[in-house]
Amino acid sequence: MSTATTADGKRYRRSPLRQALTSTWGARLTSYVAFAIVWQLLAWYVDRVPGPWETLDFIWREVSGGSHGGVRPGEFWEHFSATLVRFSIGLMIGFVLGTVVGIALGSSAFMRALLSDMLLVFLALPAIIWAFLTTMWFGLGWEAPVYTVILSAAPFVAVNVAQGVRSVSPDLHRMSQAYGVPRNRQIRGLLLPAVTGYLFTGLRFAVIISWNAVLLAEWFGAVDGVGWRARLWYDAARYRGFVGWAIIFIAFIFLLDGLVLSPLQRRAFRWRESAASGDEGLGGFDAEELASIGS
Amino acid sequence: MATLHIENLKKTFPAHSKGSKPTRAIADISFEMSGQVFVSLVGPSGCGKSTLLNIVSGVDTPTSGTVEVTQDGKRAKLGYVFQDPRLLPWRTVMQNMLYVSDLSEEEGRANAKHYLEMVGLESAEDMFPGQLSGGMQQRVGIARAFSVSPDLLLMDEPFSHLDAITARSLRDELQLMWNATKKTVLFVTHDVMEAVQLSNRIITLAHGGTVFDDVAVDLPFPRKASDPEFAAHQAEILARFETMESERADRAG
Repeated sequence: MSTATTADGKRYRRSPLRQALTSTWGARLTSYVAFAIVWQLLAWYVDRVPGPWETLDFIWREVSGGSHGGVRPGEFWEHFSATLVRFSIGLMIGFVLGTVVGIALGSSAFMRALLSDMLLVFLALPAIIWAFLTTMWFGLGWEAPVYTVILSAAPFVAVNVAQGVRSVSPDLHRMSQAYGVPRNRQIRGLLLPAVTGYLFTGLRFAVIISWNAVLLAEWFGAVDGVGWRARLWYDAARYRGFVGWAIIFIAFIFLLDGLVLSPLQRRAFRWRESAASGDEGLGGFDAEELASIGS
Repeated sequence: MATLHIENLKKTFPAHSKGSKPTRAIADISFEMSGQVFVSLVGPSGCGKSTLLNIVSGVDTPTSGTVEVTQDGKRAKLGYVFQDPRLLPWRTVMQNMLYVSDLSEEEGRANAKHYLEMVGLESAEDMFPGQLSGGMQQRVGIARAFSVSPDLLLMDEPFSHLDAITARSLRDELQLMWNATKKTVLFVTHDVMEAVQLSNRIITLAHGGTVFDDVAVDLPFPRKASDPEFAAHQAEILARFETMESERADRAG
């Protein structure tokens, strides 16, 4: 419990409840509770909004494999794993491709002149265009989602890696030259650590964009998977099914970011003490980053 | 014995953009140094001191002239202490030492420990540079330079970014380290007192990059600024320096 002194010299104590509510943890909890309340109110007054309990019940049945509405038990995991495989393959290829292009962009003025305008074109193309195009090219199947993910994720990784390469300190580079440090050691000791931060930002962007892309592409261009499943419920006008799946998408991204990406990033930045405090899950994105993801 | 031979060295930086003029950093510099000497290069800012070190270290190339750094006829090995510590922030002190080492992992560690002990930082080997004070970081920079067993050690105003007290204690330590190792050192500074305290020989550069003065300092080590002979040497060099400055002012006027 904290004590403080007011202007007129009286000491007062802040109650534990007030302290808990005004902490960052309390602020976060407040936002969840407020969201749930608004959702419930909307559900009461608007016909086509399914309520939170109804939706959670749906999610539970879908995930636990209970039979409902003509659905086979275990179907959820078949769709989920199909999507996860497409997402992972696309993300991996997109990440490697983006890293290679990013290093080229960052290290040579010629490559920058050659590629930067094209990169802008790719950045500006929304995933939905790729989803349509790849479905037209490849038909229904696994190809459209995978290619959509690659084409959507790679440019964001490339931009970030290029920035990282350009951020390598010229002073440290000159130091390495003066000491005659071998090139491969310079890459491991100087280039990669300098790029790591940018690489993580690029990866986190890429994960969110890829997840969007894979769902979109499945909506149009697949015969199974999570996106296709959401569309099934949408087409059947089963609102809680559709909203339930939207929540499953969001939950997946939260878990991936909080359980995998954030801890990895913290580990990579042990040397920068400040990084450990300001970074928790999606909270690690600043407003500017979130705004550009939304576009 | 390492020998640095510089003859008619000229350096002009090309114009940055259309309309701007090329910048002449070094008009014409020649000197030679060899063996167990500590040579200071003193001069006002803009006299080409740092450019000269960059050329000697091979980071920059001369426009014309000869720069040779040899050790028994072969290219000499260099150590470099910069104005700022220039440590890899994501590597520990020990890893920073190993980054420049060409010994095996095990030998490199033992060697690094030896030089970290010499600068009093043996307990900091697992710390990151961000956890050390500026003075401690520069100590690591000095230990790193000595640890590669350089034939020629280049130092570019290594104490100019430190507070006066830290700078003084590091100067005293450097004096001891030099007396213990007798490396060939080329030390750049704008501080005449620092040059008199540390060097056997002081080369003064003039504006525009020419050699103005080249004097020997034959005082016994360890040197103290409070010693009258020290003060006399310093006064003499400063007097010549002021003559140079006033001549320059006359020409300009």
